[in-house]
Amino acid sequence: MSDVKQMFLRFRRTPAFVGFTLFAFVLVLNIVVQGPAQFFSTRSLNTLFSKNMPLLLTTMAMAPLLISGTLDISIGIQLALVNVVSIMVFQEWGVPLYIGFLMGMLASLVVSALCWGLVSVLRLPSMLASFSLIYIVRGVNVLIMDKPQGKVPAEFYKTYDSLIGGVIPFSALFLVLVLVVWLYLIRTKFGRNIYAVGGSPRNAFAAGINPVWVQFQASMVKGVITGLAGISLTLMTASGNPLQGEAYGLRGLSACIIGGLGFGGWGSMACAVFGAGFLVIIQNTVYYFFNLLYRLIPGFTVTSYWQNLVSDIIIFFGLLMTIVTAREQREALRQGFVKQFKGGEQGAR
Amino acid sequence: MFTMREIDKRYDAVIACQDASLQVEPGEIRALLGSNGSGKSTMVKILAGLVKPNGGEILIDDAPVTINSGRDSRRLGIATAFQDLSLIPTMTVLDNILLGNEPKGKLGMVDRKISLSSVVALLERFHIDCDPDAYVQTLMPSTQSLIEVAKAVFMKPRLLLLDEVTAALHRDEVQLIFSVLRELKAQGTAIIYVTHRMNEIFEICDTSTIMRSGRTVAHVNTDELDLDEIVFYMTGQRPDTEEILETESCDHEGRELILDVEHMALYPKVHDISLKAYKGEIVGIGGLEGQGQPEFIRALLGVNRPEEGTIAYMGEEAHFHSPADAVHHDMGFISGERNREAMFPERSVGENVFAGSAAKGSLFKYLTAKVVRDFAQAAVDKYDIVVGSLAHPASSLSGGNQQKLVVARWIAMDPDLLLLDDPTKGVDVHSRREIHRILRQCADEGMTIILSSSENEELLEIADRVYLFYEGRVSGMLSGAAKTPERLVAAMMGMARNLNGATREVERA
Amino acid sequence: MQVFIRSSPARMAVIISLFLFAITVAINPRSLNMAAFGSILLLTLLLSFAAAGQTMVLIGGGLDFTVGAVMSSAAILTTYVMDSQNGRFLLVFTLAMGMGALIGLLNGYCSVKIDLPPMIVTMAVGNVVTRMSYVLTQGNPSGYPSPNFVGSVINKLWGFLPSLTLYALVLWPLVFFLLNRSRYGKQLYMMGNNPTAAQLTGVKTDKIRILMYVFSAMLSALAGMLGAAYMNLARCQIFDEYAFSSLVAVIVGGTAFTGGIGSYGGSIAGALLMTVLSNGLTVLALSSPVRNIVQGVVLLLLLIMYNRARAVRQ
Repeated sequence: MSDVKQMFLRFRRTPAFVGFTLFAFVLVLNIVVQGPAQFFSTRSLNTLFSKNMPLLLTTMAMAPLLISGTLDISIGIQLALVNVVSIMVFQEWGVPLYIGFLMGMLASLVVSALCWGLVSVLRLPSMLASFSLIYIVRGVNVLIMDKPQGKVPAEFYKTYDSLIGGVIPFSALFLVLVLVVWLYLIRTKFGRNIYAVGGSPRNAFAAGINPVWVQFQASMVKGVITGLAGISLTLMTASGNPLQGEAYGLRGLSACIIGGLGFGGWGSMACAVFGAGFLVIIQNTVYYFFNLLYRLIPGFTVTSYWQNLVSDIIIFFGLLMTIVTAREQREALRQGFVKQFKGGEQGAR
Repeated sequence: MFTMREIDKRYDAVIACQDASLQVEPGEIRALLGSNGSGKSTMVKILAGLVKPNGGEILIDDAPVTINSGRDSRRLGIATAFQDLSLIPTMTVLDNILLGNEPKGKLGMVDRKISLSSVVALLERFHIDCDPDAYVQTLMPSTQSLIEVAKAVFMKPRLLLLDEVTAALHRDEVQLIFSVLRELKAQGTAIIYVTHRMNEIFEICDTSTIMRSGRTVAHVNTDELDLDEIVFYMTGQRPDTEEILETESCDHEGRELILDVEHMALYPKVHDISLKAYKGEIVGIGGLEGQGQPEFIRALLGVNRPEEGTIAYMGEEAHFHSPADAVHHDMGFISGERNREAMFPERSVGENVFAGSAAKGSLFKYLTAKVVRDFAQAAVDKYDIVVGSLAHPASSLSGGNQQKLVVARWIAMDPDLLLLDDPTKGVDVHSRREIHRILRQCADEGMTIILSSSENEELLEIADRVYLFYEGRVSGMLSGAAKTPERLVAAMMGMARNLNGATREVERA
Repeated sequence: MQVFIRSSPARMAVIISLFLFAITVAINPRSLNMAAFGSILLLTLLLSFAAAGQTMVLIGGGLDFTVGAVMSSAAILTTYVMDSQNGRFLLVFTLAMGMGALIGLLNGYCSVKIDLPPMIVTMAVGNVVTRMSYVLTQGNPSGYPSPNFVGSVINKLWGFLPSLTLYALVLWPLVFFLLNRSRYGKQLYMMGNNPTAAQLTGVKTDKIRILMYVFSAMLSALAGMLGAAYMNLARCQIFDEYAFSSLVAVIVGGTAFTGGIGSYGGSIAGALLMTVLSNGLTVLALSSPVRNIVQGVVLLLLLIMYNRARAVRQ
């Protein structure tokens, strides 16, 4: 029993604990509001995954950047870039859609490298630099595809929406792929280096690590995951749209923060997953909650405007929550430290 | 064999090292000693690759090498344990120790099993009782210091640099480090040991290099020197340990007690400080760098809240929540770190002088440009500040004039208690004298001044009484006739008479 | 070159504006007419109002991304309450100022309490404000500004000068007073230039920070009111782009995004430059995506030109 307790205490200390708690709480709420039968139905679970995979992947793409001490808020519009490149290459060059996806992935890597150049090499402030990148990528998108168009072949998007073995959503494979690759990466030197560079660039440098190079590697990982997110978006919408996805940037970042990631050296991919999960489930809960009200209260109608408002307010409160958790953590650290110090002093006397 | 020769390093106007040298052989433990501003930290940083010298050379086994980065330093077999810790607080102990040297497993992944076993063995060797997966920031400062040393030892270096690593350690932990050092010495590791604790030098070091004001002044074998001689080389004075633990017995001519601090503690730097300041005095605070002086002053100002102790200001207990609060109660603060803490470099000279007055008073009352100009001009004239024009940015002034500006800013506010933290660091002699003159005048007119300084001559020149801090405690208070350079130095080094009259170092209780 | 730019960015901005305008006219001579001129002036004035609050916030070391959202909301409020009736100006003004003050308080309080970059905080608040505007209007704002009010903004004095200038004659000196002739302004500059030193000198940085966001939102609300008069209607998110353009105008005008330097005069010049640039892009019949790219590149160039962070190794 004490082994389990030990494991729990160890988990409690990790940054993912807060995100996990929030996610678990919201998940339970959702199940209650929607009803377990409905929630656990394969159809509802499939929709949950397939519709929200882009957001989830975007949040996960943000994680290596945040850990290594930078960020890129244009990540949202990069999804659209991948989307339009894929569709246009497929449509105009007459090659299979796979090639289109490959080109889209390449585009994502190029933009990620550009962002790295601006932030890590030229040392421009990351928020403002990546914000200007939003405008540039937005323009490039429209230049590539002037208006929403294109059709993804049926076999592609039907596969995306399908269930494997009648149980597992196909879209969840994206998540699994990224997790498996990440679980490998985090165990390599790269995995240690990003934390060092994000936690204290000066000390990482003293230990012989090159912060600029490590941030490049992190940007490339982010580029690949963003590419996957763009691909899943393409499969989900089954068409092309140059101006979609911008909101994913801020949402992904908020999800990371709510999940417990800090701006350098603190947090993990689990934080990103739980944070995104929190956002997704809370939106779902809000939707079903309003549905419930609609059925319970005669004459009650609500538009999607209300839902969006409530979702955004919740995101805002989630961000506010970081004060509470940060302050608690700081205070706990200080108390423990002072207590040990005094105790240590007396012990030595 | 490691050699540093004719090392020069300057930071703008300040000379950190001048023609400094250092040599250490395998199996030798060499102490590197120096008082404030001696350059010893710079030498260590050069070897660690964090600082590039302006001149001189570094040789390993008589072959010249260049050290341009932390990586170069490590590749040459040099490992450094830093005073301000090179650990990443948001990572685990395990990750920190292995950082940069992770053992390779299959498929390019780090081998967790080997990592864990070797780190556990290392922690046991150092008797560090902590979970290797604990985050460093949750550990006690003494544990963190031990881990910093363990991390350096883990690299199996040819040259081990230890920069003031024992500051946070208990006696047993120090002994432990010493036993490890002895083992390493037997294995042929060269060790450079920087410390300010004299007893440690005699216990563990074979030889010593002493630096003062950026130059190397002595290379000796430790058994050829006694404590007084070492202190003499470090500071130019022979220590006198008489009458340095004086109690507050001297007469204060019936002056009002402005500040009464009892047993202040603010972890980790301040352990137990009691201090009194009377109206119209200049109270000096001296000691080696890092003994708690800046933390103490900032606690008075309300920047940090002390965990223990009381502060009575103007007869009432004071708990300032912020510097704004303290300033509102007629306290002033002049920092030696001009650029970080006092100057507004992009603002004009005039605005900088007016800054104190700008911070006090009604927010939206109309303020003409003339008011600011006249105020600034009056200050510039009164304090003889050399300026091109009041409209020029403050960064255009020389260091000395910048500091005079800050002094002018605060004197114009007429505070009751003025706190100064090493105000004349890096200031030219002429400006320094000017500032002293101004302070003396203010004290004569009734201002109470507390001045912390890293230079003993300054304290002797200007302070009525001097408190010396050593490891977070008051190691001596000198006033009147007892205020001699020799006694100052003795108190600074933590030397004090015990009841039997023999000289010993103040025990770390 | 950098020194010349730094010595007076405002002057530089004006010169570049004239230069750009000359090029525009050269390319398309028909674009030189009274109407175009008047519209450039009007838009410059409007942008300068939006940039007033942003100037303050940037000088103080922050960033206000709610400018667009507040402007849009104020515009909607104006059309709804006025509902084409004269005589309601004072009412609308009070309501708009109240709304701005509340949003500003929220911005300020959060930026002080939450340890997150101001961009994120104000973006999140801006999102909530925008969503709120959709909910309250169900996506369809109603009403129109009153004829008198519209007239007070777009009527031409002496044939070419928009009467919006009269508002500027009140607002510009007010901003100048706040920034340069009050202790609040001095403390703001101090806080932006060196927050540690400001605190140690006795400035109540929290209070100043909250105040600057409050002023910014109130000024944005006023800009939104006037914008509604200019456009003669309001839509949700109608002025959203002003978040970006006010930011660029302020930075072009010489206010560092790190804080502590800058002037409102510079922002006004920056507003002129942005308007002329936008006008030029329209005249050149450049498509919307190219305009976007140009906007992004302009901001990047500004960021590159005006200081960057220090390297790890010195």
